[in-house]
Amino acid sequence: MKNKVILFLGLFLSASLAVMAQDNISPARKQAIDSLALEKVKDLSKYIAIIGSKETQFSEANRVMDRAEELFAPGAEMGVSSINTQEIAYYKVRRYFERLMALNYDRVNITWYDIQYISDLERQPDGRYVGVITIYQRFEGTSIETGMNYKDTTKKDITIYVEKKQTQIAGRTIEFWDVMLGDVRVTETSA
Amino acid sequence: MRKSLLIFAFFIAIISVVSGQGIGSPGTIKDDGRFAASTKQLNQFFRRFNGEESVDGNTRFYPGDSLFQNTNLRKGFLTILFDNQTSSISPDLKNQFIQNVLSPMYPQYLVFHRPGWYAEVDTEFFYKGKRERVTFIMKIQPEGLGYEWVIDQVIFEPFKNLFNKPVGSSKDFLHPLSHELGFMNLRRAFQDSNAPESFTASTYKPDYLAIFLYEMKQNNLRFETVSGVKFHFFQIGGWYFEVNQFNRPGFNTGWLISNLVRLGPGDKETLLKYIYDQN
Repeated sequence: MKNKVILFLGLFLSASLAVMAQDNISPARKQAIDSLALEKVKDLSKYIAIIGSKETQFSEANRVMDRAEELFAPGAEMGVSSINTQEIAYYKVRRYFERLMALNYDRVNITWYDIQYISDLERQPDGRYVGVITIYQRFEGTSIETGMNYKDTTKKDITIYVEKKQTQIAGRTIEFWDVMLGDVRVTETSA
Repeated sequence: MRKSLLIFAFFIAIISVVSGQGIGSPGTIKDDGRFAASTKQLNQFFRRFNGEESVDGNTRFYPGDSLFQNTNLRKGFLTILFDNQTSSISPDLKNQFIQNVLSPMYPQYLVFHRPGWYAEVDTEFFYKGKRERVTFIMKIQPEGLGYEWVIDQVIFEPFKNLFNKPVGSSKDFLHPLSHELGFMNLRRAFQDSNAPESFTASTYKPDYLAIFLYEMKQNNLRFETVSGVKFHFFQIGGWYFEVNQFNRPGFNTGWLISNLVRLGPGDKETLLKYIYDQN
């Protein structure tokens, strides 16, 4: 994991050095940003599976929630809707994780479909770029006592914010692109 | 007709066998093609409409790429961008539209940053203690270093009959020599009348958005939730279409064209008036 992060940082710093004065995102740069954003989404998926698992100790789940929360820009929210109603219920990211942890199933299995879609990046008024990554999650919860087995598949549209930042390395100012996750729209699908 | 069906079937078949990159690790579930086929984002609707991505959606085509806006690619995509299950768009109209869009002399594309497309967003608010539906018409505009979505109009039932200006003999008025009396008869408009709008110019149109914002600032309106979104497109010359999200089993899902109208002279203005003036 650590190696991966160093690799990405290296990739980003070198790419940034070449075109430091340029603000437009070239296709090659976009691809690199997509990879970084996808890494963050993968981390989020991993954290969700850990938080949702009944085998995870309370203290460990809390630690993972902290890590997961760090992926998000401040104030990010989860907007959840079901098949029966398009109305959105809003949860702060932390609250969403806490609800996930508190689910009353003895066995919880969260998996992901091997498909995702990454939008173009659009520039917003403050100069930051915004995009959306769509992924699909399968949830299965079993209650041993009642024998109840609940399954659903949700589509998750995850906002990503992409921002050019600066850092000092050996006295030199280096620019790099940073990715943060934002609001997440969770829609139950008919799959 | 048979040709379009063949193209459609071919596209679905290709999309079905595509496996995405996945979000990684072993243990992921293999998509049977339904999610790959679904038009998952409006962004994908634009790209598919314009032929700017690969069939599996994993590769974005840019100007200079050999398949960028390729006519055959677009033809395949356009066939699957219609709601084929519930909408009653005739195959003939669909074909005319596709031929028009793909015209070799004058192919037409959707442009994200260009005017001519609108979002219609249904929401729920609490107004004076009662849950009410509020619809916003929104559009994209340039702002600062980029772009933003802005509210262009609000459609709100309680405002509908607020300004029902009477007509004919039932309409109150200030007589044409009121000025000679220093408009002392304004009392009729502001004290005696239940319809002060009777005294406004014939061109007067209430600004519902201003009233809505005022009511928000007075804390008379409280946002509850978003309950639906659809899009109206006027970017293709001579055509209007509506795009809705279809969340259902099968391959014909996601953001799809649910309504298609060939526009005659003046139709665009009539439709826009209908969309904007639902009050």
